[in-house]
Amino acid sequence: MLLTDVQIAARNLTRHTRRNLFLGGALATVTALLVLLGALTAGMEASMMESALTLLTGHVNVGGFFKVTSGSAAPLVSDYPRLLALVRERVPEVDYVTWRGRGWAKAVSESSSMDLVLAGVDVGNEPSFRRTLRITEGRLDDLAQPGTVLLFQGQADRLKVRVGDVVTISAPTARGVNNTADLRVVAIARNVGLLSAFSAFVQADAVRTLYGLNASTTGAIHVYLKDPAAAPAVALRLRQEIAKAGWRVMEPDAQPYWMKLMVKVPSEDWTGQKIDVTTADDEMGQFKQFIRALQGVTWVLTVVLMLVVIIGILNTLAIAIRERTREIGTLRAIGMQRRKVLWLFVLETTLLGLSGTAAGAAVAAAVAGLLNARGIAVPEAVQFFLSQETLHFLLEPGAIAAKVLLLAGVTVLAALYPARRAARLKPITAMHQIG
Amino acid sequence: MNRLAALAALLCAALPAAPRALTAEEVKKVVATLDDRQRNSGDWKALCYMEAKEKGKTDVVYELLVYRRDEEDKQMFLFTKPKSEAGKGYLRLEKNLWMYDPATGRWERRTERERIGGTDTRRGDLDESRLAEEFDAKWIGEERLGAYAVDHLRLTVKPGVDVAFPVVELWVDKATLNELKRQEFALSGRLMRTAYYPRWRKVYSPSKKGEVWYPEEMRFFDEIEKGNSTLILIKEIDLRPLEANLFTKAWLEAKSR
Repeated sequence: MLLTDVQIAARNLTRHTRRNLFLGGALATVTALLVLLGALTAGMEASMMESALTLLTGHVNVGGFFKVTSGSAAPLVSDYPRLLALVRERVPEVDYVTWRGRGWAKAVSESSSMDLVLAGVDVGNEPSFRRTLRITEGRLDDLAQPGTVLLFQGQADRLKVRVGDVVTISAPTARGVNNTADLRVVAIARNVGLLSAFSAFVQADAVRTLYGLNASTTGAIHVYLKDPAAAPAVALRLRQEIAKAGWRVMEPDAQPYWMKLMVKVPSEDWTGQKIDVTTADDEMGQFKQFIRALQGVTWVLTVVLMLVVIIGILNTLAIAIRERTREIGTLRAIGMQRRKVLWLFVLETTLLGLSGTAAGAAVAAAVAGLLNARGIAVPEAVQFFLSQETLHFLLEPGAIAAKVLLLAGVTVLAALYPARRAARLKPITAMHQIG
Repeated sequence: MNRLAALAALLCAALPAAPRALTAEEVKKVVATLDDRQRNSGDWKALCYMEAKEKGKTDVVYELLVYRRDEEDKQMFLFTKPKSEAGKGYLRLEKNLWMYDPATGRWERRTERERIGGTDTRRGDLDESRLAEEFDAKWIGEERLGAYAVDHLRLTVKPGVDVAFPVVELWVDKATLNELKRQEFALSGRLMRTAYYPRWRKVYSPSKKGEVWYPEEMRFFDEIEKGNSTLILIKEIDLRPLEANLFTKAWLEAKSR
């Protein structure tokens, strides 16, 4: 019975090809637009998180600040092996743990200079590097040698250096004296998102030498979890455990460490060491806010487009019912129930909605795939906003299906009112109608 | 047959003899001699002029005093001209190079690659020669450099030694053993700087009890930023002992007060 109804509805759709193609085309266009926007936002978020988790943050970070005087601050964790042991003991959800020195320095080559956020790493202790970093020149393992640096392609281009060249980095120590170090470029990696424009990896001891730190001092312990969703709970637990073990722990504050370092911590009236436990979301606070804002804009756009769709459907169906009044009257006269008329109209719209939105989603997927394959470069001025250097659309089947169903559902809901009006027509009135 | 043999003998005699490659020992000796000729062993004071040419900018001439206490590996530069640079200085103590800026009153630790006063000069250019101590040398060949027959050597830095450039090529006059040309490279093989030493002078050193050679004129050409170069003239050398407390931060700071 349902199959027969579907056949009748499909036949009716094909009988009014022009009108239905117009309506289906509008639905397809709106769906394609929404899918593309969603895929772009998802692509931005994925690139940003991949970049952040490689360069800047773990799922949970145990960092901190050391203040020699109340007006100064350095992103340091002293006696980190003891803290590391505590993290390993209290976080069974851990996948792996790394510890990196944190710093900021001016890098000077023979022909150019730029500011760099430094991460002092022990390359043997960075399992994600081999997975996420694509070395285009040099060898990743050479980063274990003293006085070496790994740059990303954009930085190497800007500094006009290649593997074997030397860059001088200059930075103020915790006591305010400027120190410099010569670092040999041992590897150049492909850029990993926006953050790689200004983050570089330096052999761990080189950062310690630059800042005059001892071997038991690091910048932060990055904890990578098997389930990233557990990060807030792990952070809360670690904060309590670290405080219990005798460290002074900072209050939770969803800001990246460098913002705290620049503004908040130097203005606080304390000296010595304090530990700060953050999550990746905290460290990516501002970027996340930007993504959320973009998602908000996408939803506003979705609502506006849906309103347009609803008005379009109401209008088109009203015309369709007017055109088909005599047909409805005949159907009613030969005994078709009102409910059945309603059902047929809803079914027609459902078919139209599903096929239109599915076609739109398919077109969007094809366009996104094509653009991904072409690797279209984003202009430098826009890179900051898109968090990408090449346009990348992330197609998530679940999200696409949700958009298709949502738009098809809205189409069906919009069709209910005109369909009810059609079903309420009296057979005699309908048959007398001159269409 | 006899004629043929005689002709062959004549031809062999007329042909220039192929240069004999220097053995590793001979190369070591050349490098050691280069160092030894420039070694003073005692104190050193010199008045220097640096003329820096930078593409698109006005040429700047600096006057500076160079102090050395080679036995203790100490070195100090004090800029005296132009007025804007007067009082600025560099002090090398225990392998650390410190720069003092009187405008801020602050000291900053710098590296061997530091461009002295922002020119193409490096600290090592004004220090005594330590090639044998810092590099391993290899003979490349015998060449001609203008009118001079020279030995072309390639020096590679020894592990753990901090120098401005890890690979250096030298062109050494065979007759006088004066270094005439130098090219410096990064480990990537990129040529960074070319230097010429057209004039060498010697002074008698009481501490060495012998002659000390020094390049009276040095010309450095930046190979990365083409068009940038620096000329150094070394004048008024004084090899008498310097004050004991000269190589201190306090002494340098006092000069700008």
